[in-house]
Amino acid sequence: MKGHERDTVNKENVSLKSPVALSLGLHLMIVVVALAGWSWTNPVQEPEPRSISARLISPEPKPSPVVDEKDQRDEAEKREQAAEKQRQKDEAERKKAQQEAERKAAEKAAQEKARKLEQERKQQEAKAREKAEQQARAKEAARKKAEAEAKERERQKAEQERKRQEEAKRKAEEEKKRQEERRRAEEAERKRKEEQARKEAERKRKEAERRLREQQLNALAEEAEQARESEARRQREAAAARAREAQMLTDSEKYQALIRDRLAQAWYPPASATENMVARLQITLLPTGELQSVSLVSSSGNTAFDNSALSAVRSLNRYPVPGDRDTFERYFRQFTIEFNPKRLR
Amino acid sequence: MHKSNNSRHGLAKRHLTAIGWLLVMCFVASSARAELLIRITEGANSAIPVAVVPFAESGAMPAGDKVSSIVQADLTMSGEFKPLDPSKMLSLPSERSEVYFRDWRMLGQRYVLVGQLTNNSGKIEARYELFDVNREQRILGETAAAPAGNVRSLAHHISDRVYEAITGEPGAFSTKLAYVTLSGSGKNSVYRLHVSDIDGQRSKVRLESDEPILSPSWSPDGKKLAYVSFETGKPAIYIHELATGKRTKAADFPGLNSAPAWSPDGQSLLMTLSKDGNAEVYEKNLASGRITKLTNHWAIDTEAAWDHAGKGVFFTSDRSGGPQIYYMERPGAEARRLTFGSRYNARPRPDSKGEYVYYVHQRDRSFHIARRNLKTDEEFIVTRTGTDESPSVSPNGRMLIYATEQGGKGVLTVVSADGGAAYSLPASEGEVREPAWGPITR
Repeated sequence: MKGHERDTVNKENVSLKSPVALSLGLHLMIVVVALAGWSWTNPVQEPEPRSISARLISPEPKPSPVVDEKDQRDEAEKREQAAEKQRQKDEAERKKAQQEAERKAAEKAAQEKARKLEQERKQQEAKAREKAEQQARAKEAARKKAEAEAKERERQKAEQERKRQEEAKRKAEEEKKRQEERRRAEEAERKRKEEQARKEAERKRKEAERRLREQQLNALAEEAEQARESEARRQREAAAARAREAQMLTDSEKYQALIRDRLAQAWYPPASATENMVARLQITLLPTGELQSVSLVSSSGNTAFDNSALSAVRSLNRYPVPGDRDTFERYFRQFTIEFNPKRLR
Repeated sequence: MHKSNNSRHGLAKRHLTAIGWLLVMCFVASSARAELLIRITEGANSAIPVAVVPFAESGAMPAGDKVSSIVQADLTMSGEFKPLDPSKMLSLPSERSEVYFRDWRMLGQRYVLVGQLTNNSGKIEARYELFDVNREQRILGETAAAPAGNVRSLAHHISDRVYEAITGEPGAFSTKLAYVTLSGSGKNSVYRLHVSDIDGQRSKVRLESDEPILSPSWSPDGKKLAYVSFETGKPAIYIHELATGKRTKAADFPGLNSAPAWSPDGQSLLMTLSKDGNAEVYEKNLASGRITKLTNHWAIDTEAAWDHAGKGVFFTSDRSGGPQIYYMERPGAEARRLTFGSRYNARPRPDSKGEYVYYVHQRDRSFHIARRNLKTDEEFIVTRTGTDESPSVSPNGRMLIYATEQGGKGVLTVVSADGGAAYSLPASEGEVREPAWGPITR
């Protein structure tokens, strides 16, 4: 950036240098020319004696200026009288004068011609000077204009910078404002939602309360109804249950025997077992007959014996259990197994 | 309590009444719940399946003796276990992380023994773990070590630990056997008294004689043997210190000097002497040398043995016309006959718990070893080989060794006390007889 700036300045210096030099050169030239012209024109500009020009005009003088005519007429009378006397002399003189005049006219013409040339030269010089001056002025104007423009650019740049900064500041402020607004909006939204949720919860709570009351009322009504029905049903079912109970017991006994056989085959009473050792295990089965859990509820006092019982219980992959769910739940969901060797080898 | 006054007595009575009611209520409550109870009063009638996985080995191992093979043989010999053939194992784990219980369960195994052996500059170190397959639990995890030349002791020790972990009884695999061999015949007969491991390995001759050697009996500390030797041309009882080989005569009376048996406290020796004319049971106090006569009957009383408590004495007597087993509650008390229904019941050997007594029992012209339940008097035939004699019970009461004939030759057979699998000891030269099972020494 800096380099770029310096670069620009250098360029301006260069562009400024050449017009200044040019201008200086031109001025110098003008001064020289003017000085030369001055020494030349000074004698030329000296006015010639007016009388000569008026008197030396031919007999049929061209209309002269008004002042000249009047003068000439007043004196003409006088001169005519004397003229004759003088004519001879004059004639000679005239001839002499004529010659002189002619000479002088020629001289004058030559002078005139020189003057004209000088005039032209002067005009040309003036023109050139004018032109040079114009050029210098133009240059100066251009320089000034360039300077002004540079300044203007500088100013505009500064202005732009200022505007840009102002803009940035403005934008930052706007952004801040916008965020502030958004935050406020969010806060408001949050509050609104909270309020909504609270209202919703309140509504639900009331709804639930209402429903509960309804249910309670319904339940009371149903209860009464059911109490009547259930009493009748209970009596009906009691009879069926008694029959069923008997059936379940029979089933249960069958499966008890199966389980007993399986466990007896799976149990290896340890060498240290005695006939008064008793270990009680509570087992929980799944309806599939799989063992869910087993716990020693009463130890025999002999670790090897307890372990042999636990090992036996865990060794069955599947316990034989009734397919009937009620019988299962009633007897085989959870039961106790007692290991108590009565016939040791 | 005896001095309590009436009011206090009444208070106690009221308390008792309250407790009584509480009990009744509890009973009512529990019976009302009526949860199913299944009683198991019988176990499997077979040996426990156990997998002894060959131990992993690092470092040089002594040739021949594989620790895990010895353990497997020990467990097999007990008759209580049925080790799985290693070729049927799905994997050979050597530590817990490698044991997949599901696999062993699938193979029907109850227990798995795994281990590693390391040779630590001539010392073999064993790390071993025993798992309950069904409970998926480790029930034993130990280390043990022995010099490389003594891996059999290491193996028997592991067998003992495994046995105890599973059965709750101490194992007897590290104990010793004493027995007598007879080689040659007639004038070339040589009798030798041996002491060996219970599997018959590492047998060492302790005494060699041209004349018969009979009835070795272990002192309770396992350091001495008492036996009958005919080396002087007539029977005499000797006490032999195993460590030093030093022998002393315990009885050298005119006539019969036979059937020595140590008392459980090691202080005295029972023996049969005929110094007073008839064969009777005597007790000799080893410290004082005093001899006391325990039986006094015109018939032969012999083969005496202390019961487990060292209070009563079992012995054989033919006072009923043939040999039968008798029991005296204390020395000098009236003898009670235990065995009936057979013409021949002899050589009683009680177990160490007071539950059973073993003896030679004749049935249908064959001789077996029988076991009698001392509480129920139930008699059970343990062996069925035919010419069985000299029963000796292992110190844990779970195994029995006896002499029998195989191919017309005397051999020793180990059988589980309940009559399970029998295991014949490798035959050494000549006849093998008179086994005596040594005590557990720690």
